[in-house]
Amino acid sequence: MISEKLKKNIFIYLLLTPAFIVLIGVVFYPFIYNIVISFSNMNLRHIKDWQIIGFRQYYKVFFESSQPDFYVIFIKTIIWTVVNVFFHVTIGVALALILNQKIKGRSIYRMLLILPWAIPQYVVALTWRGMFSYEYGAINLIIQKYLNLPGVEWLKNPTEAFLACILTNVWLGFPFMMVIALGGLQSIPNELYEAADIDGAKWWQKVKNITLPLLKPVMIPAITLGIVWTFNNLNIVWLVSNGGEPSDQTHILVSFVYKAAFNLYRYGYAAALSVVIFIILLLFSLKFMNKTKVTEKIY
Amino acid sequence: MINIKKIILIFFFLLFFGCSPKKNDPNRIVIWHQMRIDERVILEEHLKKYMEIHPDIKVEALYKETETLRSGYIIAAIAGQGPDLVYGPSDQIGPFQVMNIILPLEDLFPKDYLDKFNPKALTYYKGHLYQIADKLGNHLALVYNKKLINKPPETDEELIEIGKKITIDKNGDNQPDVYGLVWNYTEPFFYIPFYTGFGGWVLNDNNEPTLDNEANINGLKFIQDLRDKYKIVPREADYNIADMLFKEGKAGMIINGDWSWASYQKAGIDIGVAPLPKIKSTGLYCAPMVSPKGYSINSNIDKEKLSKVIDLLYFLLDVEQQYYTAKELNVIPTRKEVFKYEDIKNNEIMKNSLLQIERGKPMPVVPELRAIWDAMRPNYQAVLNGEKTPQQAAKDMQWLAIKKINEMNE
Repeated sequence: MISEKLKKNIFIYLLLTPAFIVLIGVVFYPFIYNIVISFSNMNLRHIKDWQIIGFRQYYKVFFESSQPDFYVIFIKTIIWTVVNVFFHVTIGVALALILNQKIKGRSIYRMLLILPWAIPQYVVALTWRGMFSYEYGAINLIIQKYLNLPGVEWLKNPTEAFLACILTNVWLGFPFMMVIALGGLQSIPNELYEAADIDGAKWWQKVKNITLPLLKPVMIPAITLGIVWTFNNLNIVWLVSNGGEPSDQTHILVSFVYKAAFNLYRYGYAAALSVVIFIILLLFSLKFMNKTKVTEKIY
Repeated sequence: MINIKKIILIFFFLLFFGCSPKKNDPNRIVIWHQMRIDERVILEEHLKKYMEIHPDIKVEALYKETETLRSGYIIAAIAGQGPDLVYGPSDQIGPFQVMNIILPLEDLFPKDYLDKFNPKALTYYKGHLYQIADKLGNHLALVYNKKLINKPPETDEELIEIGKKITIDKNGDNQPDVYGLVWNYTEPFFYIPFYTGFGGWVLNDNNEPTLDNEANINGLKFIQDLRDKYKIVPREADYNIADMLFKEGKAGMIINGDWSWASYQKAGIDIGVAPLPKIKSTGLYCAPMVSPKGYSINSNIDKEKLSKVIDLLYFLLDVEQQYYTAKELNVIPTRKEVFKYEDIKNNEIMKNSLLQIERGKPMPVVPELRAIWDAMRPNYQAVLNGEKTPQQAAKDMQWLAIKKINEMNE
């Protein structure tokens, strides 16, 4: 017997089915398949006749020396993520606060500031790569001509190359946070500020006690998303550093996976590494969401 | 209730029939290729002509970047899908053969037909023919700006001498405004000519890496010296920067492949193409890697379609088509008969290009080459950064190449 509730909702389930089937095809099936091959020896020599070999690929990820080293890349990935998201949020929220004021030409500024987000990432990455050129790049020209400082060899040294990637991604990422924060700001009822004005609150007190707490439920999911995206942002690192240059020292975990899978056909190993990345991100997101109590209602 | 039943019926009807994939159409041939834009235009012209002759056949050519094409083709072909024809440089044959995703071709074409090709155009691997090329080369040569250089250098010493003469700092800011030589020198593929010039080669007959030797040390030192001692190359140059400098007339010479030459002419530079110089101390010419670019057939193809695909290949590899392409793009054709045309025989760029091909070394098609590049790149760049000495880098290249090959083959 079909329960009364199911009967009542059957139409809704039907409407959901196509989306669900697509999800199975493009998300669940590849995901399960990835987990399966992470336990296999699938590589150049065993592409069709692969076998399950247990945890050997995971062992290799953690304990076998790789070139470059897994733990070094892991730390770099954390630095990459934290620095990027920190600047995305700070710059984004600061700009949103400014744009939320009644200033002249607000819509023009807003449009200009969203621009980085609207340009395809490839174009941005390759343009910035050109700007970081030692002799001909815009950045060194500014440093040398207007600041009278020696030029920086951005793409030749590991630290500078990594910094170049971060700068590019900061520029690229803040508009998203700005748009989200702007939306959040506009949904804060004006009465709260009026009440605070009557109480004689100063600007900073209003920001601290009204704006930021009420922005939190909007910003936390955005930050979580931002962290996951940044952690997995292959394009920028790959294109700005030209595939990890110099000397494979500008990798984050995903670009390392990409290289393992598609350059050297090590599918099993790459799958294991991507499962590790997934678990890191899953644990982090759960903990972060839990800690910030974002799922609880604020009003 | 009837309504719900109806809705369910319509829903499943739409779900299963609306989304059913298009049946494999035997008259639709798909080609994946990585041709650059001017080659693509010509391919499209050829295909249009073919479809006019065969109105029942539809050929679709899809561009993919070299690496995307390779990984995408592997994934598709292993799943029993993929294009009918795959076009690219010969070094993709190694992995494709190991994965068993391309067909041997020697029995599909008569021997006397294959004899009409330059032997370098037919890529054999493990005793079978896997690729027939329509273009030879993909090779580096020395391109020079005739406005700045009358006679191209023939030896490494002349290269340095001419380079020094041209490298000038016009405004006194300690940065040359014109460089003697530019090229994408941080990429190992572009270093190979110097490695061979000093007497080295990347693999031995057993496909084991051979990187830790005097030739490599001397080659690395030479590149370092060009930049730091003779100062005739920019401190930093990747492909795009080198290309741009040459196109703007800010460099006397560039080492670049045949794919780029037509673009320099289009940019208004009066270019000459010369074979790469000889290294005086070894008496050897700098030999670039040479690889044909051509077609392979997907092993998933069914018999009915195979004959149609072969017919298309006959058309695409025809003398007329090759003559037209060679004339338009200055690329070396693979059919011997094309050289009967006077304008091909007497074209100076083509003549020198052909000479460079003869002096070049065929690019190995084995999958191990991937590991070699991946081992060379970081260590080579470490020498250029000053992190490693050439001696140390040569040693580390060898060690890393062996490690990567083992990882790949385990």
